[in-house]
Amino acid sequence: MTGFLDISFLTVQVLSALRLAAFLFLISSGLTLIFGVLNILNFAHGALYMLGAYFMFWVTSQVTGPGGFFLAMAMAPLGVALIGMILEMGLLRRIYIQEEIYQLLLTYALVLIIDDLAKIVFGAEYKSIPKPAFLEGAITLFGGTVPTYTILVVVIAPTVAALLWYLLYRTKTGKVIRATSSDREMADALGINMKALFTLVFAFGAVLAGFGGALAGPARTVFPGVGTEVIIECFVVVVIGGLGNLWGALVGSLLIGALETVGIIVFPEFEMGLIYLLMVAVLVVRPWGLFGKPLKIKALSEKNLSFESQEISPVHFSSRPWLWVIPVVLLLIFPAFAGRFYQYLLTQIFVAALMAVAFNLLLGTTGLLSFGQAAFFGVGAYTVGLLLTKTGTGTMPALGLSLFTSAVAASVIGFFCVRLTGVHFAMLTLAFGQLIFAIAFKWYGFTGGDNGIQGIPVREIPLAGLGLLDIGSTKSMYYFVLVVAGLAVAFLRRVRSSPFGATLKAIRENGQRASYLGINVTLYQWTAFVIAGTFTGLAGGLFALMERSISPEIIHWTKSADPVLMTIIGGIYTFVGPAVGAVVLIVLNSYIVAWTEYWALVLGMVLLLLVLLLPGGVIGFVNEKARDYLTRSGWIRRWLFSKSATS
Amino acid sequence: MALLELASVNTFYGRSHILFDVSLSVGKGEVVSLLGRNGAGKSTTFRSIIGLTPPQTGEVIFKGERISGMRAFRICRKGVGFVPEDRRCFPDLTVRENLEVAVRREKQTSSPWTVEKVYSLFPRLQEREKNLGSQLSGGEQQMLTIARTLMTNPDLLLLDEPSEGLAPMIVALLADMIIRIRAEGVTVLLAEQNLHFCAKVADRGYVIDKGSVKYEGKISDLLGNEEIKEKYLAV
Amino acid sequence: MAFLEVRDIVKSFGGLRALQDVSLSVEKGEIRAIIGPNGAGKSTLFNVMTGLLSPDSGEVRFDGERISGIPPYRVIRKGIGRSFQITNIFPRMSVFENVQVALFSHHRENRSALTLARNFREVTDEVLAVLGLVGLADKFDSSASVLSHGDQKRLEIAITLACRPRLLMLDEPTAGMSRFESRETIALLQKISREQGLTLVFTEHDMDIVFGISEKITVLQQGMVIADGEPAEIKANPEVRKAYLGEEIAE
Repeated sequence: MTGFLDISFLTVQVLSALRLAAFLFLISSGLTLIFGVLNILNFAHGALYMLGAYFMFWVTSQVTGPGGFFLAMAMAPLGVALIGMILEMGLLRRIYIQEEIYQLLLTYALVLIIDDLAKIVFGAEYKSIPKPAFLEGAITLFGGTVPTYTILVVVIAPTVAALLWYLLYRTKTGKVIRATSSDREMADALGINMKALFTLVFAFGAVLAGFGGALAGPARTVFPGVGTEVIIECFVVVVIGGLGNLWGALVGSLLIGALETVGIIVFPEFEMGLIYLLMVAVLVVRPWGLFGKPLKIKALSEKNLSFESQEISPVHFSSRPWLWVIPVVLLLIFPAFAGRFYQYLLTQIFVAALMAVAFNLLLGTTGLLSFGQAAFFGVGAYTVGLLLTKTGTGTMPALGLSLFTSAVAASVIGFFCVRLTGVHFAMLTLAFGQLIFAIAFKWYGFTGGDNGIQGIPVREIPLAGLGLLDIGSTKSMYYFVLVVAGLAVAFLRRVRSSPFGATLKAIRENGQRASYLGINVTLYQWTAFVIAGTFTGLAGGLFALMERSISPEIIHWTKSADPVLMTIIGGIYTFVGPAVGAVVLIVLNSYIVAWTEYWALVLGMVLLLLVLLLPGGVIGFVNEKARDYLTRSGWIRRWLFSKSATS
Repeated sequence: MALLELASVNTFYGRSHILFDVSLSVGKGEVVSLLGRNGAGKSTTFRSIIGLTPPQTGEVIFKGERISGMRAFRICRKGVGFVPEDRRCFPDLTVRENLEVAVRREKQTSSPWTVEKVYSLFPRLQEREKNLGSQLSGGEQQMLTIARTLMTNPDLLLLDEPSEGLAPMIVALLADMIIRIRAEGVTVLLAEQNLHFCAKVADRGYVIDKGSVKYEGKISDLLGNEEIKEKYLAV
Repeated sequence: MAFLEVRDIVKSFGGLRALQDVSLSVEKGEIRAIIGPNGAGKSTLFNVMTGLLSPDSGEVRFDGERISGIPPYRVIRKGIGRSFQITNIFPRMSVFENVQVALFSHHRENRSALTLARNFREVTDEVLAVLGLVGLADKFDSSASVLSHGDQKRLEIAITLACRPRLLMLDEPTAGMSRFESRETIALLQKISREQGLTLVFTEHDMDIVFGISEKITVLQQGMVIADGEPAEIKANPEVRKAYLGEEIAE
């Protein structure tokens, strides 16, 4: 009888869980070490893992045989370490004093660039790496058949862990690293060279990632983008364990390894969702992870406040409505001059702009970086898609309900998320997002699983007494989306310029001070979260109407990155910035994709340059200049006093 | 020539001007105290010397070399040891590890400080060798931070309010230790608001108030100067 | 019962007793200084009194109501204003907006999400009035982060005053100010508290200011109240002298 208690079955499963845990630990330990000392959550860590695997591939293809295999195993970590050092000294070093969003974004840009460079050098196809003959076969252990290579991995990983322990607890450099992660300034005053140590730690983290890639390469395959799959799992591991904590990474790896293995057997439909469910559960109960400590919140004086004059604030805000008339008229007459392709392109932009503007109510206005915004987009899109395909609901009621469902989803998710801050907030929203993605992806009976929903009928909209409005054509859809998204954006504009919006800004700037004005900070953050989620859901609903088909990809975390990128491109502390970012991103995309397949490389370069040279974004830059001009001309002063009640 | 010389140092925190033209000098082998109430600028003076909050104008000269503008770790390697007032020992490291990470300049020193040597000065630390920094009492933490800084083999030790918050018996013990540290050839600049503690260990003193030096002279003279005491030290 | 009543507050961090049976009472309209050497527990006491920390035991009553153990935003709504040792403003907002948001909170208008902030004309007038009071009226459109330190401190006082507190708690209101700035600030505080009948509780290390304006002084040392009384009594108190100058060390 084969059951759970069958010893051979158990052996095979335990070893497979351990193998997975081993890979996870090798990558996560470097990730958490870097976070502990540099305070940077390195998105590019997965890319370094991938590079390790490619190094392995390349060296073994040059030098064949077992000698080549072990040479590659030694070369790969060193090669990756070298690349890590170059990245740290050339790029990361310049942004340590920036806010954490820029650090995340810079490493994200590196992911895009490294992935595409790998594609250029090695091609897009999956590469498998040959193992030497003596590691090819399998052995029998307690009646179960286990690949020899798995045994190697399961033996090597604990060896590395022991070595790590030795390095950190028994060598002077290790002790210095631990000392620095708890008090940088004191370490500095004791004669420790911070700059050199940061480079060393980043390179060392890269060694671990590179070794992980070299070891995993022959067992798995390697392809451009493999790092992106790995990094999210590793985020889960280090966040569950506690950011910056090595034992946390170890325990987290074992937990995830076990959970995924058990999940595949017991609950195959939802295996992917389980790890996010675990992450949500851990963060809700222990916001800093199992072994983590609360992160010190940087004092405002330590932050880089280079954006002091980017916003044309409500005091400065122009009251000349005709300025708004120009773009509105242009958009209204646009279809008369442009073909269907451009009408469709602009409709896409409207949807993306609505999503980005809604998202920025959280990031730019309230100061919360959500990394799970695609979840609400998905909830809205699926609400519309399901209602229209499975019921006879009308278009407008379906769109209305998408507002409702995404509001409900955002209320529940927001309730848990707003209790956290900074990177932990971002990670919890990511976990919730991926959880919803997993549900949409696997629940064939309801959501259509990975097939999504095709052929969504777009019904005519009854206009009271005026007949039916058909929005089936590209042009009428253009106008429909323009009006709905336009109204929603106008609403968000109003919210942002209201006392409520001013309160959110105050919370972003200084939460403690805000609470000392009698403001219930958490309640306001939650409300902002719900509003942002609701309007993101509306954007999703519009998306379902215009595309007429949806798939779970729209909920994947990479989609959550879109509004972040748009916001940063356009200008984080401005209202129109995210919309401008949507234009830039979508237009660039549609042209560059036609011209080269390396769109990610171009995007990565654009992001890199933005973070380094123009962190305020396009509109932030324009506003700064405009504000200077307005201040100099004295116009603001005249305007304000004309607004005063007594004058 | 003086070991340490501050010439018209002006230091800011962000936009707030904290030190106004602070000048002082410390000769080799001296114990000099910097007296003043809290908020007077003592800690900022120390942070300016060690380079954690570098001065905006003015110069800090150490052993004839200009050190203002250098980064903290370089200044430490030149032989300036800093013991901050909030006793920041590394909480996740054991007592011994706290000492080990600081080892520096052994070759530049004729009889360098070793773990054993600082244990003989602070026997209590040896007893607690395996405890984590976070498990120590306030007095023990104070001893550990002093001991840790000694491991960098400084020629000049900056001690920021070591007696703060300690019981009188421990304060007396601390005074003896400073005298022994001086006997080892270490020059000490001591920031304090406890005048009697300074009287026990220091030769000269500066009184600082609202970021500028108000008085300079022998501690024994200061003890008798009721006016200065009333105005800048007592309430 | 006194206007502000602190009774037997105990607060520990880990094994460290930061406050031990601290009691004090402040009458309405009084100006009270709380002083003591570094680490005496002044900031902890302030944080307990304004809800940032919950006391382990004991209670704080304000105007008859218990305010200890409730979150800061609710303490503030009872009519207490607090300023901080480290300048605590909204740096990337204009001076105008800094005060405006405080007034929105005071008038419970922060929930209005559909009316533009600039249409609250009474608030605009009030903002300008408060800024006039602290002497920042002509800087209303600069970003708060570019102000001089003294102006930032003044702005913080303006933010605090905008909420019309009945009790003002100031943690080192002149920290980091030049002598000229601090003299001006103190004159301003005195003027406002006299005009509006405010009760003022403050910590300060500048003894000229402490003895210059306070009516009563509480001295803390190592988490305990060692003296409480009028300035002259405090000056003559040998315990206080010892706290500041240290004890004679036996040979």
